[in-house]
Amino acid sequence: MKINYISIRQSITRLVLPALSVMMLWSCSKTVDEPSAGINTPSSLDEKAGTWKPYVLASSGEFAVAEPREISSDYYKTELTKLKEAVNAVTPQQREQINYWGAGAVYRWNEIGRELAARYNSPPASTPDGKYPVPDAANPLKDPKFPFANPPYTARALAYLSVAQYDALVAAWNYKFKYNRKAPSKNDTSIKTLLPVSDLPSYPSEDAVVAEVSAIILKAMFPGEVAYLDAKLAEHKSSRMWAGMNVESDIIAGSDLGKAVGAKVMARARTDKMGAANNQAQTAGMIANAKKIGVTEPWVSQEFPPRPPMLPTYGFVKTWNFDSATVVALRPEAPPVIGSPAFQKDMNELLAIAKNQTREQARIASFWSDGVGSYTPPGHWHRKGADLCHDNKYSEVRTARTLALLGTTLQDAGICCWDVKYFYYYPRPNQMSSKIKTSVGLPNFPSYTSGHSTFSGAAAELLAHIFPDKKQEVDAMASEASVSRIYGMIHYRFDCEVGLASGHKIGGFAVQRAKTDGAE
Amino acid sequence: MMHSLHKKGLRLLGIVLAVAGFIPSAHAQMPNDAIYMGKNTACIAVSYTHSSWDKYWENSLKRENLNIGTHTTQSVMPMLAVGITKNLNAIVAVPYIWTQASAGNLKWHKGIQDGSLWLKYRFLNKSGFSLHAIGGASIPLTDYIPDFMPMSIGMQCKTATARLLASYRHKSGVYLTASGSYIFRSKITIDRDSYQADGKLYNTNKVSVPNAYDASARLGYLKKGIQAEGFIEHGACDGGDYIRRNDMPFPTNNMKSTVVGVYAKFQPKNIGVNARASHVIEGRNMGQATTYSVGVLYQFRYAKEAKN
Repeated sequence: MKINYISIRQSITRLVLPALSVMMLWSCSKTVDEPSAGINTPSSLDEKAGTWKPYVLASSGEFAVAEPREISSDYYKTELTKLKEAVNAVTPQQREQINYWGAGAVYRWNEIGRELAARYNSPPASTPDGKYPVPDAANPLKDPKFPFANPPYTARALAYLSVAQYDALVAAWNYKFKYNRKAPSKNDTSIKTLLPVSDLPSYPSEDAVVAEVSAIILKAMFPGEVAYLDAKLAEHKSSRMWAGMNVESDIIAGSDLGKAVGAKVMARARTDKMGAANNQAQTAGMIANAKKIGVTEPWVSQEFPPRPPMLPTYGFVKTWNFDSATVVALRPEAPPVIGSPAFQKDMNELLAIAKNQTREQARIASFWSDGVGSYTPPGHWHRKGADLCHDNKYSEVRTARTLALLGTTLQDAGICCWDVKYFYYYPRPNQMSSKIKTSVGLPNFPSYTSGHSTFSGAAAELLAHIFPDKKQEVDAMASEASVSRIYGMIHYRFDCEVGLASGHKIGGFAVQRAKTDGAE
Repeated sequence: MMHSLHKKGLRLLGIVLAVAGFIPSAHAQMPNDAIYMGKNTACIAVSYTHSSWDKYWENSLKRENLNIGTHTTQSVMPMLAVGITKNLNAIVAVPYIWTQASAGNLKWHKGIQDGSLWLKYRFLNKSGFSLHAIGGASIPLTDYIPDFMPMSIGMQCKTATARLLASYRHKSGVYLTASGSYIFRSKITIDRDSYQADGKLYNTNKVSVPNAYDASARLGYLKKGIQAEGFIEHGACDGGDYIRRNDMPFPTNNMKSTVVGVYAKFQPKNIGVNARASHVIEGRNMGQATTYSVGVLYQFRYAKEAKN
């Protein structure tokens, strides 16, 4: 066959070069696109939020906020002038930061909390003598880092973060509508703001309140990140001035209020018994009790060397939406007797999956794994909650309320689940059969009931109440999260089903609060 | 926990067989010698590779993991090499891989990994000195799970490799070969929509896997049906992060290794056998693997010599 020069050149141009450039494109671009949250434009001012029921504050007026200076005062006028100068001098980098924080103060700080949880979610390594050192809060960056942000720890950290944001915003809303200082751009129309402006009074600044209170909680929960959090705090507050949204006195009043609320919320945190949640001395008694109530083969660590179980006395930590007696009352019935037909049935299911896990089962197990290095199941649900608030254009205070309800029920779920786990001290399926290996990583604590299922049931119950049109979706998510632990081969079906039902009951307490907190 | 370093590859001696791929999932094998099959000849080969480690580098910390014990990767790889012209050869290969850990609870994985295609072109050949341009591409053939390392069988990347190889062969049969390559690796999609890399939390299921490069030198003897060689190879990623303290490895890790090994082949006639052994002497973010492989090959003419 004759091939002439032209046709070769044409085929190179038509086929080879485009093919090459396509190849170079997919192989050379190393950035991944993440879903980016747009600027939030709240659909409601939630004017009455100053009357909503706080968690830790006695009332929204507990901490005084001084009356702002008159808008006719020279002081305020000077602030406006300075603000205008700041807006006019905005750099492209500042513009980016303005937009970042414009997605929402609560939204962004929740995201920061989740990221820190993931970064600190590393179990300590064993030492050569076969021991596991306990992370030291006084030396947070020394190996092993403090904290080990496991699911109970993260549930608590995010609960406090959300509660503190909510209480601080309820207080801020009280003063906003009490003093009714309009936004700077409404007082001086020559200020060209870089974010949308609503009729929400600007004193004290809701962004400063959230930034300050969030930084206080997160610095306490992640003491190795003080410098990082201080930088975020400063950037957030400044971004509101660069955007022309708040004058300095709005910011300072918000900061002071945030500090006061943060201190009060941290006072609760210091006495909630978390400090005693890793009492390994109690496990001997727990095991003896489990044997007494019929668990013939109590849980033992499957790690080498055996690792002390995760936070055995977390079940005694202070709950949010009910009292400690209710934790015991909510405890589900005993799991099947080991070796009984009910036990064997669910064991056989796992043996079958171990032999032939489908790709779809593996996908579901992995999607919900939320294990080491992740933001844990509580983080997974906070992400969902924050996204729903953002999608629904919630105000800062309503977003904070939703996440506080969600965060508290998630920690309640963790506390109840840990109580059940160490009450029954039930063995993992992997302890009962070496044929069962996991596709997600084996948690180091007793099996019954499933933590994922309990967290997810509670979260779905609450989110379905707040977002009724999403009920089907969040219930399906919770069911999938629950069953993912069977597919991942670390839980019996009865662990998951009972855990999920318990979670829904626990979530019901948060729903009860939501109906009576004044926001509905 | 570590991504295994199963080294397998091709050796082409008018034919084929196993040599080193550096990161297993990046490219299951690659031709990295100066040997060509004649026009109209082809070779079918099958190799078996066994690679194991009980120590790995968690970033720069060399450690063991009692919840892994000894990690073993085995593979069987059929290959076909075709002499298109005396200066242009093509090679295709498809490995079946299975992983195991002697301790702990992590699920073992198995399956067909990535299919690869290589083209090898000798563009200069003078007085025993030759220069070669080699291009390769690989594509995952099955939906295996890429981020359950070190038990995953691969990383799900599509890859494209560009390699330059120079060789000198003395009349006595002694040869010296050196090569360098750059490996483009595509982004991958994982089952999770959140993961950590570069000290940051990503909220997406897309993962950017760093590109990689490698270099090798081999000194050997080749005459008649006998070949024997010693080699050293170094591979690393062009960027990437490291395994966090006591955490799992991840496809974004910058895996580096320096490997030394020996290779031998005996092919008196159409049928030949070969064997290879190698050991990682230095690494980062991967296991210190010791690898053995053996192979058989069969060479044949697939068309009559064209008459000029």
